[in-house]
Amino acid sequence: MVTAARRRPAWVRALDSNLTYQIGTFVLFALGWQVYGTVWGGLLVPTFTETVEAFVELVGTREFWDAMFVSNQALVIGFALAVGIGVPVGVVLGRFRTLERYLNVYLNILLVTPMAAIIPLLVMSVGFGLLSRVILVTIFAIVMVIVNVRAGVRQVDPALIQMARSFGASEREIWMRILIPGALPSIMTGIRLGLGRAVTGMVIVELLMVSLALGNLILEYRGMFNGPALYATIAAILIEALVLISLARLLERKVAPWAPNNQKGANQR
Amino acid sequence: MIEISGLGKTFIGQDGAAVRALDDVNLTVQENEFLTVLGPSGCGKTTMLKMIAGLLPWDQGEIAIGGAPVRGPGPDRSMVFQNFALLPWATVLDNVAFGLRMRGVGKKEREERSRELISLVGLSGFESKRPGELSGGMQQRVGLARALAVEPSVLLMDEPFGAVDEQTRRLLQEELLAIWEKNRLTVVFITHSMEEAVLLGDRVVLMSARPGQISEIVPVPLERPRSSDVGGVERSSDYVNITAYLWERLREMHEERSVVAGSGPSV
Repeated sequence: MVTAARRRPAWVRALDSNLTYQIGTFVLFALGWQVYGTVWGGLLVPTFTETVEAFVELVGTREFWDAMFVSNQALVIGFALAVGIGVPVGVVLGRFRTLERYLNVYLNILLVTPMAAIIPLLVMSVGFGLLSRVILVTIFAIVMVIVNVRAGVRQVDPALIQMARSFGASEREIWMRILIPGALPSIMTGIRLGLGRAVTGMVIVELLMVSLALGNLILEYRGMFNGPALYATIAAILIEALVLISLARLLERKVAPWAPNNQKGANQR
Repeated sequence: MIEISGLGKTFIGQDGAAVRALDDVNLTVQENEFLTVLGPSGCGKTTMLKMIAGLLPWDQGEIAIGGAPVRGPGPDRSMVFQNFALLPWATVLDNVAFGLRMRGVGKKEREERSRELISLVGLSGFESKRPGELSGGMQQRVGLARALAVEPSVLLMDEPFGAVDEQTRRLLQEELLAIWEKNRLTVVFITHSMEEAVLLGDRVVLMSARPGQISEIVPVPLERPRSSDVGGVERSSDYVNITAYLWERLREMHEERSVVAGSGPSV
């Protein structure tokens, strides 16, 4: 394998990266879109180029950045809460099985309930303000964090705990030196997946609960049958989500480079 | 000196049936003796070792080290684990220093001491590597260095070379012997290999399963220092005879068991 790779010219090897394939599929996708939009596209299906134009125009408006700011307020606070609460809860659930017995059912509810269904409940109890948007982002994200962190703590090799005990480690030292570092790769994965859910929550809450910011832009453009601008807004959200996830992935590799999943050449989950 | 008297332990198995893991085990390990423990799987040898380490409780009997009863892990003992039990996120240096850190040794001193041990086991230059970058043999060298770093008077080894290939295993055996010759300490070494038990041990404790009991203690009168290279102990008649004898005994145990298993009604 190694020698075969060495024999290929440098430009071939440079091209043989994930990025090349990702750009390749994107070009295909854009082409297909363009053709579809030109041939069958109606009022609400703009072509790719129209969308790009609208996107450039959109990011030049103050309205867009205001919307970004307002939407991301809920995202940042909600996600921070999800991590701040989710990580400790996940760690505790992973270590103490009895506690988990009591709480597992609620976790499952959070995991499977269509979150949109609880939006009316939230609005009725806390109103339309920032608080209810933050709460929704938090419940969206926190499940992923808790479930992954819990799994991470649980899969720490019991032999390591025994080893630490044999050298006289206290319970606190076992937590600090074995359980937390051992669960770190999963904690980072939970944070990354939670981030994805937080972005979803941010948009959904604005679409279904309070017509505001980015969600409001989407609804507005739809109402005006402004296809290109509608698509451009959605593209902006997608781009933000992709950038955030990539950053999280980078951080994951930086923080836990020993984890098999984070080694060079390992595929993203 | 380790004194074990009347040691017994009953586990409740998954089917609810009681399993007698250890039954009336009496054993005295002399100061600086290299004792190997051999037996079929399920004979309780690892259980006994973990009890000496203070990691597992027992039901009957007493374990005393240097006259003091064992109540838990202590600074006089350290352990080498079958699957190395290295911290995958820590460097070789930090892994070797782990025991010292748990014992409250300051950073400068523990790094100095760890470097000495790393060089003793032949891993100089690998201080900043992580376990994942090392071969199995090198990983167990780290495990050995970590155990020796805390300067124990009793070294407990749980099938330490069971997870490495045969060639590496022989090299590790020789290195362990060389280290032990230089710096004698009491060693209790669990193994399932007759050859390993005889090559390393002053005495071989032969255990039998169900219940886990000491079946026989076989002295190994081979001269030290021992090595397994050409002209080494493996060609001496004592070595050959003792190994053959141990195998006979072990095979009897297996036959007894298969007879018992075969005598039941066929399903």
